[in-house]
Amino acid sequence: MRKLKASIWKELLLVLHDKVGLLLMYLMPLLLVFIITIVQNSAFQIVNENKLTVLISNQDRGSLGDSLVKALVHSGSFEIRKNDHLSESAVKRITIDEDAMLGIYIPSNFSERLASNADNISKLMLEQMGVIEKAPKVTPEKQEIAIYFDPIVQENFRISVINGIQAITNGIENEEMVGKLFQEMGYDSIPQNIRQAIINRETKLKIANASLNEVAELIPNSSQHNVPAWSIFAMFFMVISLGGNIVKERLSGSFLRLQTIPRGFALTLISKFLVYLFVALSQLLLLFLMGIYIFPHIGLPQLAMPNAFLPFLVVTLLSAVSAISYAVLVGTYAKTQEQANGFGAISIIIFAAIGGIWVPNFVMPDYMQAIGNISPLKWCLEGYYTLFLKNGAWSELIGTITFLFLFTVICQLLIFIKLRIQNYI
Amino acid sequence: MQETLLHVSNVYKTYGKSAVPSLDGIDFTVEKGEIVGIFGPNGAGKTTLISILCSILNPTLGSVKYYLDGEKTPREIRSKLGFVPQDFSFFPELTAKQNLSYFGSLYNLQKAELEQKIDDLLQKVGLFHVKNQKVSTFSGGMKRRLNLIISLLHNPSILFLDEPTVGVDVQSKIAIMNLLQELNHQGTTIIYTSHHLKEAEEFCNQIVLIDHGKIIASETLTNLLKKHAVNNLEELILKLTGTLLRD
Repeated sequence: MRKLKASIWKELLLVLHDKVGLLLMYLMPLLLVFIITIVQNSAFQIVNENKLTVLISNQDRGSLGDSLVKALVHSGSFEIRKNDHLSESAVKRITIDEDAMLGIYIPSNFSERLASNADNISKLMLEQMGVIEKAPKVTPEKQEIAIYFDPIVQENFRISVINGIQAITNGIENEEMVGKLFQEMGYDSIPQNIRQAIINRETKLKIANASLNEVAELIPNSSQHNVPAWSIFAMFFMVISLGGNIVKERLSGSFLRLQTIPRGFALTLISKFLVYLFVALSQLLLLFLMGIYIFPHIGLPQLAMPNAFLPFLVVTLLSAVSAISYAVLVGTYAKTQEQANGFGAISIIIFAAIGGIWVPNFVMPDYMQAIGNISPLKWCLEGYYTLFLKNGAWSELIGTITFLFLFTVICQLLIFIKLRIQNYI
Repeated sequence: MQETLLHVSNVYKTYGKSAVPSLDGIDFTVEKGEIVGIFGPNGAGKTTLISILCSILNPTLGSVKYYLDGEKTPREIRSKLGFVPQDFSFFPELTAKQNLSYFGSLYNLQKAELEQKIDDLLQKVGLFHVKNQKVSTFSGGMKRRLNLIISLLHNPSILFLDEPTVGVDVQSKIAIMNLLQELNHQGTTIIYTSHHLKEAEEFCNQIVLIDHGKIIASETLTNLLKKHAVNNLEELILKLTGTLLRD
């Protein structure tokens, strides 16, 4: 025990002296979690909470263009800057200068074309129902609203904006069409009870998050996504410190000396393992504490810890052990410290990329998702998402636990083979 | 009456698929209390031989037997063996005392005994006043002295030194050699390699000369000088191994 204590103490001192390693293991993940959560949270707010600035030039001679503008204002998603003096080309040109995310140009014949189309469709319907004998054959005219996006607006933003505007124009078209139907049947306008029924027809959407636990629901937000994801990345990034440390000791000759001391080498490996397990757990603790106590003070969502504590502990320990095993494996096989640092860092970045740390796995093509299965970070992340987002427990963690266990066993086996060949153990 | 401590019998060592063995049938015996110098050109096999004697490497063929409380393999007598590698094998980020405490604890020395031993050894090699300084601030000579005393903490019966005085000033060299002489007088058997032949002449009482992985001479220095009609160790090595560069 005294030998182990001395060995652990030595490893702790070495970790404390490794200033660059400490920065990489503690400061880098803090900054990463902090920055990425803020960025993602801001992106979420832009789309869902903030109003998008829209420059509108309404040239419509009728009333439907105004209805469209009113509906856009009413939706609450847009901050409208109206300038009806602008031509279509001017809207296209100055959307960026006006600091708007998009510009909408409503043409002068918007109401006319929309009314004409509604009229045609209503007549076709009445003909079909036998109310009138024959509807005139008219080719429907397509009304065109021009939308110009600031080029910096990303594709997903564009799609959600287009869908929003499309829903509003569809509503206007439907109402116009129903109005024409009633006009054809001799009404001045849509009867009030029908109009109310149309307004109330909207299918109500009950929106909630799928959860594996009915008792408690965790709210997915940027903190729930990012804190676990980047904590895993930080743990695996210890390869720089631990892998480099192993190569350095081997090259300096201290491993040679340890080989001549009974159980010296095994004790060193065990103590490295225990000290870096402490490092990994302290990294997680630090990041989780930041998510719980600091995030709410800077306007970010508070991190909610999963309810299933024991599964959380098991996934955390297995993730940490996998990260340590991988770092020792890199350190054991690398010939130089530069090789360990370079290969270690790049391999973790690749594992993170294919494992869904940066971009969710489900948006990747099938073959990339299949490749992603070899990444230990993917399984750690899956485990944490099961706990932090889906509120899952043991039965949903079988895949994660099995993979991480096998990954650790394979790493340890490869380490053992290499050290045995080199006569260290 | 001399007592055998170590017997090396027909040791071969090849690395990987190399056709040329690094050690090619090495046979020699070391008696208790001797100071054995292993010499030879670069690449002759000296470090490989010491590594096998210290249990760092296993021989491809042959055997190494120690006779300490019965017949033992190198692995079985590691707690009685001290090894001073040519490279500085300690942690420069730590202080001299932290390094010594760590390695001493691995030998299972009790705290009070270890502290006393650390202070004694630091005094002997003139490092006591810098025991709490980081080793990275030490000069080459100070590091070399620390490298040596780390291997002495557990009072080894047999001490292996690979170039213990390489790159040090004359003062450090004297301190190191004096300490080794003192240890030998106390009964420690010493096996060492060096390229400082003058120092070796004064220090060793047995010479083992290796070239191309084979022992080409193994006797007392006096006998070897007489037998080959040369004046010193340098002349002897040149006469037996030639002047051709080996690396």
